[in-house]
Amino acid sequence: MKAYLINRFFGILILALFSFSCSSDLDFNQANDLKLEPVFITNLSYFDIPANDFVDNGTEQNISFDAQDFDVFRDSFLRENLRRADFSFEITNTINRAYSFDLNLIDQNDAVIYTIRMNIPASTGTAVIRNKTEIFENAKLDLLKASRRMEFVLVMAPGPALSENSLGSLKLRSSATVYLVVE
Amino acid sequence: MRKAYLILLLLISISCFSQNKQILYNFTSVPQSLTTNPGADFKYNYYFGVPLLSGVSLNVGSTGFSTYDLFANDGVNFNSKLRNVLSSTSRKDKVTINEQIELFTGGFKVGDWQDHGYVSFGMYQEFDFLSYMPKDLAILALDGNKHQIGKVFNFADLNLKTEMLSVLHFGYNKNIRENLIVGARAKIYSSIFNATSTNNSGYIYTVPGTTTAYEQVIYSNAQLNTSGISSYIEENSDIDAASDIQRKTFLGGNLGLGFDLGFTYYPKKNIQITASILDVGFIKHSKEVESFTYKGLYKYEGINPSFNGVDDPRSIYQEFKDAIPLDTIYTKYTTWRPTKINASYQYSFDDSRGADCNCINNDTPYKNAVGAQLFVMTAPRAPIMALTGYYRRNVFDNLQMKATYTVDSYSFTNIGLGLSTNVGKFNMYVLADNLLEYRDISKANSLSFQFGFNFIFKDNNEPF
Repeated sequence: MKAYLINRFFGILILALFSFSCSSDLDFNQANDLKLEPVFITNLSYFDIPANDFVDNGTEQNISFDAQDFDVFRDSFLRENLRRADFSFEITNTINRAYSFDLNLIDQNDAVIYTIRMNIPASTGTAVIRNKTEIFENAKLDLLKASRRMEFVLVMAPGPALSENSLGSLKLRSSATVYLVVE
Repeated sequence: MRKAYLILLLLISISCFSQNKQILYNFTSVPQSLTTNPGADFKYNYYFGVPLLSGVSLNVGSTGFSTYDLFANDGVNFNSKLRNVLSSTSRKDKVTINEQIELFTGGFKVGDWQDHGYVSFGMYQEFDFLSYMPKDLAILALDGNKHQIGKVFNFADLNLKTEMLSVLHFGYNKNIRENLIVGARAKIYSSIFNATSTNNSGYIYTVPGTTTAYEQVIYSNAQLNTSGISSYIEENSDIDAASDIQRKTFLGGNLGLGFDLGFTYYPKKNIQITASILDVGFIKHSKEVESFTYKGLYKYEGINPSFNGVDDPRSIYQEFKDAIPLDTIYTKYTTWRPTKINASYQYSFDDSRGADCNCINNDTPYKNAVGAQLFVMTAPRAPIMALTGYYRRNVFDNLQMKATYTVDSYSFTNIGLGLSTNVGKFNMYVLADNLLEYRDISKANSLSFQFGFNFIFKDNNEPF
């Protein structure tokens, strides 16, 4: 009899514990709404060319260019989740010559698919700073994603002659702001 | 699928393991109290547990947030909840899960009535998970670095370990004096799987630069050791998980050794002091070992065209992969079990049999007892501690109760209750803590629950 009573006591107690317990309404499917929208700032490119680099054996080099691999889109994560990219350029000119700067995006067929151009006036003693921001979104972004190489082209406009002893430099600092959406 | 991983990473970052069994400890009407103190004052002729049902325990805890904070069905966008949780937690917050199931257990008395000891043995399967909040990495994943220029993101925030193992144990306890019981337990661990990443360091930062737009440096010294899972993560794996776990449970996994020690001492008849140290041991991981390292330093400057006519194509992507390569290595490693220390002081009162009774009995003659317990467990960063006050009462001859109040890093309002009853030789027990949280389980920061069934044949301690 006593055992029976104890059992009942025990049973009621456990029952009480669970019947008084409750849980707020939860919805675990919310996890599917997870959307990460990080924004990263990263370096894109830089150079710092002294004036005398535009002179080779006493002859001015009016056109300089170089192409570099631009292969970040080999990374599928970036390819799939990139929604927008802002390229910011800052060119500082302390050379007494004007320049035009082209950044060409080149696809896998070696065709130029997009050009960012900046014109930088000649320096007259003080540094000339030019800024430009290029925003890649939607169709333009697809062009960026199709790029495999970046070509940098500098064209020096006519002006006072440069020599091996000329001072000043042409300096580029460039960054990219990358907007990702990970769903 | 990527989403699932992210959620998992986050959840991992939130949970923690406290293996405090404050109700079971020194609750000597339950045979399983021997697993928390091999020198527990539990006397028997012999006992055995109902296979698979003698000891089932689950213990989950999260210091930083509750399930409700993340998954409440309240119309608030999940991503805002995630942000709230992230901003309200620190890198010290942790999520722990501990689960134990006794496969079998038993014990018997050896020796004669004058000189005897108690043997206990068994096997249980255990799952542990501990992770600290990887706060900085979560900020980076959620927000990026745009608004965090100048901040150094710390890779050491990534700190987690998880393990499933089985433990075969064999213990012995003995009254070496009338008022002093000492006990020891030897353990053989068989690790079913293990993943440990607790010694990471590194950083990533972005500050305004001079020659480049920013100075960006990433330094990583991260390593994840795994054992027992390589065959599962392999592509085209056709492994039979059930039979693989079964084989590893029965000493087919990575093996280790350990021990428990403990004592119970009665300086006076109504004063009891106990202490135990559990799981002093290690596991040597040598089978199915696979470790992933991500080590290196890379200063990212961007593309630097050279206008000197020399063609030197560089691949930033490849440079980065070469500077901080993801390597897989196959070297043995050793993990230490989380060691636990328990201690208690108990004062008993209300002698149910009158002051004259001089009889020796394994059951305490006192109806009531109050006491205090301390629990300390080693963890990757700082030890986890808990302090418990308790009241124990023999409600009837066959019904014992223990009520506890525990203060720890999870909560200051942890009230627990344990009940153990004997119906003939049949013993059953239920222990649950954080009872206040049962009002709304989803808001609980920690919960533990334990129950089991045994057959106990009492020690009469008579000369035949």
